[in-house]
Amino acid sequence: MRQAGVYSGILSGGGISGRTGPHLLPLARIKKIMKKSSVDVKMISGEAPLVFSKACELFIEELTKRSWNMTIQGKRRTLHKEDVASALATTDVFDFLINLVYPNASDHPNLNEEYTEKKQ
Amino acid sequence: MDDSTNRLTTGDDEIANQQERLLPIANVGRIMKQILPQNAKISKEAKETMQECASEFISFVTGEASDKCKKERRKTVNGDDVCWAMGTLGFDDYAPPLKRYLDRYRELEDDRLSNPQRNEEEGQPSSSAAELSSIPKPF
Repeated sequence: MRQAGVYSGILSGGGISGRTGPHLLPLARIKKIMKKSSVDVKMISGEAPLVFSKACELFIEELTKRSWNMTIQGKRRTLHKEDVASALATTDVFDFLINLVYPNASDHPNLNEEYTEKKQ
Repeated sequence: MDDSTNRLTTGDDEIANQQERLLPIANVGRIMKQILPQNAKISKEAKETMQECASEFISFVTGEASDKCKKERRKTVNGDDVCWAMGTLGFDDYAPPLKRYLDRYRELEDDRLSNPQRNEEEGQPSSSAAELSSIPKPF
Protein backbone atom coordinates (compact mmCIF):
# COMPACT_ATOMS: atom_id res chain seq x y z
CA MET A 1 0.00 0.00 0.00
CA ARG A 2 1.59 3.23 -1.05
CA GLN A 3 1.30 5.96 1.50
CA ALA A 4 1.16 9.59 0.61
CA GLY A 5 4.48 10.96 1.75
CA VAL A 6 6.48 14.04 1.10
CA TYR A 7 7.22 13.09 -2.48
CA SER A 8 4.39 10.84 -3.57
CA GLY A 9 1.84 13.02 -1.85
CA ILE A 10 2.58 16.34 -3.46
CA LEU A 11 4.75 15.98 -6.42
CA SER A 12 3.39 12.90 -8.07
CA GLY A 13 -0.21 13.55 -7.13
CA GLY A 14 -0.41 10.40 -5.02
CA GLY A 15 -1.44 6.87 -5.96
CA ILE A 16 -1.29 5.69 -9.57
CA SER A 17 -0.74 9.12 -11.01
CA GLY A 18 2.68 8.94 -9.37
CA ARG A 19 3.99 7.40 -12.55
CA THR A 20 2.95 10.23 -14.78
CA GLY A 21 3.79 12.93 -12.26
CA PRO A 22 6.67 15.32 -12.71
CA HIS A 23 9.14 12.85 -11.11
CA LEU A 24 10.79 10.81 -13.76
CA LEU A 25 13.68 9.60 -11.64
CA PRO A 26 13.76 7.75 -8.30
CA LEU A 27 14.90 10.00 -5.48
CA ALA A 28 16.30 7.21 -3.30
CA ARG A 29 18.59 6.10 -6.09
CA ILE A 30 19.75 9.67 -6.68
CA LYS A 31 20.54 9.98 -3.01
CA LYS A 32 22.62 6.78 -3.14
CA ILE A 33 24.62 8.09 -6.07
CA MET A 34 25.18 11.39 -4.27
CA LYS A 35 26.46 9.60 -1.17
CA LYS A 36 28.91 7.55 -3.18
CA SER A 37 30.38 10.59 -4.91
CA SER A 38 32.64 11.59 -2.04
CA VAL A 39 33.55 10.62 1.52
CA ASP A 40 32.91 14.25 2.41
CA VAL A 41 29.22 13.91 1.71
CA LYS A 42 27.71 13.45 5.12
CA MET A 43 24.13 14.59 5.14
CA ILE A 44 21.85 15.38 2.29
CA SER A 45 18.75 17.54 2.63
CA GLY A 46 15.44 16.25 1.31
CA GLU A 47 15.46 18.80 -1.48
CA ALA A 48 18.84 17.98 -2.95
CA PRO A 49 17.82 14.71 -4.68
CA LEU A 50 14.73 16.52 -5.87
CA VAL A 51 16.77 19.23 -7.54
CA PHE A 52 18.85 16.51 -9.16
CA SER A 53 15.80 14.68 -10.44
CA LYS A 54 14.95 17.80 -12.44
CA ALA A 55 18.57 18.56 -13.30
CA CYS A 56 19.18 15.05 -14.60
CA GLU A 57 16.10 15.35 -16.74
CA LEU A 58 17.48 18.57 -18.25
CA PHE A 59 20.91 17.01 -18.61
CA ILE A 60 19.64 13.88 -20.33
CA GLU A 61 17.46 15.97 -22.61
CA GLU A 62 20.31 18.23 -23.63
CA LEU A 63 22.78 15.42 -24.20
CA THR A 64 20.17 13.42 -26.10
CA LYS A 65 19.32 16.34 -28.38
CA ARG A 66 22.98 16.98 -29.14
CA SER A 67 23.59 13.28 -29.71
CA TRP A 68 20.65 13.13 -32.06
CA ASN A 69 22.19 15.94 -34.11
CA MET A 70 25.15 13.64 -34.65
CA THR A 71 22.84 10.81 -35.63
CA ILE A 72 21.16 13.04 -38.21
CA GLN A 73 24.52 14.16 -39.54
CA GLY A 74 25.33 10.51 -40.10
CA LYS A 75 21.99 10.14 -41.94
CA ARG A 76 20.75 7.55 -39.47
CA ARG A 77 17.63 7.17 -37.35
CA THR A 78 19.10 5.15 -34.51
CA LEU A 79 20.97 6.99 -31.79
CA HIS A 80 24.18 5.12 -30.99
CA LYS A 81 26.84 5.35 -28.32
CA GLU A 82 29.18 6.98 -30.82
CA ASP A 83 26.71 9.82 -31.25
CA VAL A 84 26.74 10.44 -27.52
CA ALA A 85 30.53 10.43 -27.52
CA SER A 86 30.60 12.92 -30.39
CA ALA A 87 28.15 15.19 -28.56
CA LEU A 88 30.37 15.10 -25.47
CA ALA A 89 33.44 15.98 -27.49
CA THR A 90 31.80 18.99 -29.09
CA THR A 91 30.28 20.52 -25.94
CA ASP A 92 32.68 22.20 -23.53
CA VAL A 93 30.48 21.81 -20.47
CA PHE A 94 30.50 18.02 -20.99
CA ASP A 95 34.27 17.76 -20.97
CA PHE A 96 34.20 15.95 -17.62
CA LEU A 97 32.48 13.04 -19.34
CA ILE A 98 34.76 12.41 -22.29
CA ASN A 99 36.91 9.82 -20.58
CA LEU A 100 33.87 8.03 -19.23
CA VAL A 101 32.55 6.98 -22.61
CA TYR A 102 35.77 6.12 -24.38
CA PRO A 103 38.63 5.96 -21.87
CA ASN A 104 41.00 5.93 -24.82
CA ALA A 105 39.87 8.46 -27.37
CA SER A 106 41.49 6.40 -30.08
CA ASP A 107 38.78 3.76 -29.52
CA HIS A 108 36.14 6.10 -30.87
CA PRO A 109 35.55 5.43 -34.57
CA ASN A 110 35.26 9.07 -35.63
CA LEU A 111 36.67 10.90 -32.70
CA ASN A 112 40.39 10.50 -33.01
CA GLU A 113 40.99 13.52 -35.21
CA GLU A 114 38.72 15.85 -33.26
CA TYR A 115 40.23 14.80 -29.96
CA THR A 116 43.80 15.50 -30.99
CA GLU A 117 42.75 18.88 -32.38
CA LYS A 118 41.08 19.80 -29.11
CA LYS A 119 44.14 18.83 -27.10
CA GLN A 120 46.14 21.40 -28.99
CA MET B 1 37.45 -5.27 -23.96
CA ASP B 2 33.69 -5.17 -24.13
CA ASP B 3 32.10 -4.26 -20.79
CA SER B 4 29.14 -6.58 -21.31
CA THR B 5 31.34 -9.69 -21.01
CA ASN B 6 32.39 -8.53 -17.56
CA ARG B 7 28.75 -8.32 -16.56
CA LEU B 8 28.14 -11.93 -17.55
CA THR B 9 30.87 -13.27 -15.33
CA THR B 10 30.25 -11.22 -12.20
CA GLY B 11 28.03 -12.52 -9.44
CA ASP B 12 24.53 -11.32 -8.71
CA ASP B 13 25.73 -9.08 -5.89
CA GLU B 14 28.10 -7.23 -8.10
CA ILE B 15 25.45 -6.69 -10.73
CA ALA B 16 23.10 -5.33 -8.09
CA ASN B 17 25.79 -2.98 -6.83
CA GLN B 18 26.49 -1.79 -10.33
CA GLN B 19 22.80 -1.06 -10.90
CA GLU B 20 22.63 0.85 -7.62
CA ARG B 21 25.02 3.47 -8.87
CA LEU B 22 22.99 4.08 -12.02
CA LEU B 23 19.57 5.56 -12.66
CA PRO B 24 17.09 2.96 -13.96
CA ILE B 25 17.44 2.40 -17.69
CA ALA B 26 13.68 2.51 -18.22
CA ASN B 27 13.42 6.00 -16.74
CA VAL B 28 16.47 7.24 -18.61
CA GLY B 29 15.15 5.75 -21.85
CA ARG B 30 11.79 7.42 -21.33
CA ILE B 31 13.32 10.87 -20.91
CA MET B 32 15.41 10.33 -24.04
CA LYS B 33 12.41 9.13 -26.02
CA GLN B 34 10.29 12.11 -25.00
CA ILE B 35 12.72 14.61 -26.46
CA LEU B 36 13.29 12.81 -29.75
CA PRO B 37 11.06 12.60 -32.84
CA GLN B 38 8.58 9.76 -32.84
CA ASN B 39 10.35 7.61 -35.38
CA ALA B 40 13.71 7.89 -33.64
CA LYS B 41 15.32 4.73 -32.29
CA ILE B 42 17.78 4.48 -29.45
CA SER B 43 20.29 1.67 -29.12
CA LYS B 44 20.54 -0.12 -25.79
CA GLU B 45 24.17 0.83 -25.60
CA ALA B 46 23.30 4.50 -26.00
CA LYS B 47 20.83 4.27 -23.10
CA GLU B 48 23.46 2.57 -20.97
CA THR B 49 25.92 5.28 -21.86
CA MET B 50 23.37 7.91 -20.87
CA GLN B 51 22.89 6.14 -17.53
CA GLU B 52 26.62 6.36 -16.87
CA CYS B 53 26.77 9.99 -17.91
CA ALA B 54 23.86 10.93 -15.67
CA SER B 55 25.45 9.26 -12.64
CA GLU B 56 28.73 10.97 -13.36
CA PHE B 57 26.88 14.27 -13.65
CA ILE B 58 25.34 13.74 -10.21
CA SER B 59 28.72 12.82 -8.69
CA PHE B 60 30.48 15.72 -10.33
CA VAL B 61 28.01 18.32 -9.15
CA THR B 62 27.63 16.76 -5.70
CA GLY B 63 31.40 16.82 -5.24
CA GLU B 64 31.46 20.54 -5.91
CA ALA B 65 28.47 21.22 -3.65
CA SER B 66 29.97 19.12 -0.89
CA ASP B 67 33.30 20.97 -1.11
CA LYS B 68 31.43 24.21 -0.59
CA CYS B 69 29.67 22.83 2.48
CA LYS B 70 32.94 21.60 3.87
CA LYS B 71 34.55 25.04 3.45
CA GLU B 72 31.59 26.66 5.13
CA ARG B 73 31.58 24.02 7.87
CA ARG B 74 28.08 22.83 7.10
CA LYS B 75 27.17 19.19 7.34
CA THR B 76 24.19 19.12 5.05
CA VAL B 77 24.21 19.52 1.29
CA ASN B 78 20.99 21.32 0.43
CA GLY B 79 19.14 22.27 -2.73
CA ASP B 80 20.75 25.70 -2.96
CA ASP B 81 24.21 24.14 -2.80
CA VAL B 82 23.32 21.89 -5.70
CA CYS B 83 22.01 24.83 -7.74
CA TRP B 84 25.10 26.85 -6.96
CA ALA B 85 27.42 23.99 -7.92
CA MET B 86 25.69 23.63 -11.25
CA GLY B 87 26.14 27.29 -12.01
CA THR B 88 29.83 27.09 -11.08
CA LEU B 89 30.46 24.06 -13.27
CA GLY B 90 29.04 25.68 -16.37
CA PHE B 91 25.45 24.46 -16.24
CA ASP B 92 24.23 28.04 -16.06
CA ASP B 93 21.24 27.27 -18.23
CA TYR B 94 19.91 24.80 -15.71
CA ALA B 95 20.24 27.01 -12.66
CA PRO B 96 17.21 29.31 -13.21
CA PRO B 97 14.60 26.59 -13.91
CA LEU B 98 16.01 24.54 -11.06
CA LYS B 99 15.80 27.46 -8.71
CA ARG B 100 12.17 27.96 -9.73
CA TYR B 101 11.49 24.24 -9.27
CA LEU B 102 13.05 24.33 -5.82
CA ASP B 103 11.18 27.47 -4.78
CA ARG B 104 7.93 25.93 -5.97
CA TYR B 105 8.66 22.75 -4.02
CA ARG B 106 9.33 24.79 -0.86
CA GLU B 107 6.10 26.67 -1.36
CA LEU B 108 4.20 23.39 -1.71
CA GLU B 109 5.93 21.98 1.35
CA ASP B 110 4.73 24.94 3.39
CA ASP B 111 1.21 24.44 2.04
CA ARG B 112 1.30 20.74 2.79
CA LEU B 113 2.48 21.26 6.31
CA SER B 114 -0.32 23.68 7.02
CA ASN B 115 -3.03 21.48 5.41
CA PRO B 116 -2.19 17.89 6.46
CA GLN B 117 -5.65 16.34 5.83
CA ARG B 118 -5.65 17.03 2.07
CA ASN B 119 -2.85 14.61 1.33
CA GLU B 120 -4.24 11.46 2.92
CA GLU B 121 -6.37 10.62 -0.12
CA GLU B 122 -4.81 8.37 -2.75
CA GLY B 123 -5.36 9.08 -6.39
CA GLN B 124 -6.22 12.72 -5.91
CA PRO B 125 -4.39 14.56 -8.62
CA SER B 126 -2.71 17.56 -7.18
CA SER B 127 -2.76 20.75 -9.21
CA SER B 128 0.65 21.44 -7.77
CA ALA B 129 2.04 18.44 -9.62
CA ALA B 130 0.98 20.02 -12.88
CA GLU B 131 2.42 23.35 -11.83
CA LEU B 132 5.81 21.85 -11.08
CA SER B 133 6.03 20.18 -14.45
CA SER B 134 5.09 23.32 -16.36
CA ILE B 135 8.30 25.15 -15.60
CA PRO B 136 9.80 26.02 -18.97
CA LYS B 137 13.04 24.46 -20.08
CA PRO B 138 16.10 26.54 -20.99
CA PHE B 139 16.39 25.15 -24.55
